[in-house]
Amino acid sequence: MTANDAPAEPAAAVETILVVEDEVLIRMVISEYLRDCEYKVIEAANADEAILVLQCKELTIDVVFTAVEMPGTMDGFGLSRWVRANKPGLGVILVGSPARAADAAAELCESGPMLAKPYEPQVVVDRIKRLLAERKARK
Amino acid sequence: MAGSGLADKTGLKPKTPIVLVVEDEVLTRLTIANELRSSGLSVVEAANADEALTVLRSSARVDLLFTDIQMPGSIDGLALAELVRKTHPALKIVIASSFSPVGPARDIPDAFFGKPYDTVKVVSKIKELLVSFEK
Repeated sequence: MTANDAPAEPAAAVETILVVEDEVLIRMVISEYLRDCEYKVIEAANADEAILVLQCKELTIDVVFTAVEMPGTMDGFGLSRWVRANKPGLGVILVGSPARAADAAAELCESGPMLAKPYEPQVVVDRIKRLLAERKARK
Repeated sequence: MAGSGLADKTGLKPKTPIVLVVEDEVLTRLTIANELRSSGLSVVEAANADEALTVLRSSARVDLLFTDIQMPGSIDGLALAELVRKTHPALKIVIASSFSPVGPARDIPDAFFGKPYDTVKVVSKIKELLVSFEK
């Protein structure tokens, strides 16, 4: 068998990450970063939406990536407890700030399908800060 | 695929048309968002009109608004579309709802789809409306 005959390496299965974040500008930037790392990303605006997604039999979620503070019936800690009780074995990443979210996303990128960060997490943080500052300036 | 929110920072296909999907039903939102992404478009997701306004008032580029009408929040999708028509006149607007707009509101969207809609037809219409944005 020559090198040309060698079977192609099987493509890594694309994992699906459920991003749960009530601040739309942060959710948008983090989700796009993870998509640029070639993950599949499902977005939820709060824990209630996340639970609807997790209960959907047609969807397979590999990691829940959630903000800590969120309005609604439960926050990120509550969602983590729900996952532990109802989806044991499913990984949960809790992030308390945009900087932590960007760092955690970058770590996922380095173990994901592309095995590399498309750009530095600081770019993600800077982008989020700029968007949030613009909004504050308009209020 | 290009990152929508980060396109201006990373230089990744900045001309990929960007659709803002506004829908409070998460499973409906992710279905249409995934179909639009699969067709080569970038998508920003908003769970209600308030989130949509936050995105539109930021520096994130949006080329087309695809919105439901009946949603919780300070305004519904029709009021969002009326507002956007005034503030972002170049933005294409597509409305999907169980209820058709009546009266002058019928002239607001570039296209309307009754719910439940055929996802393929919606994506096709959106691509048609965005053809001038694609390079």
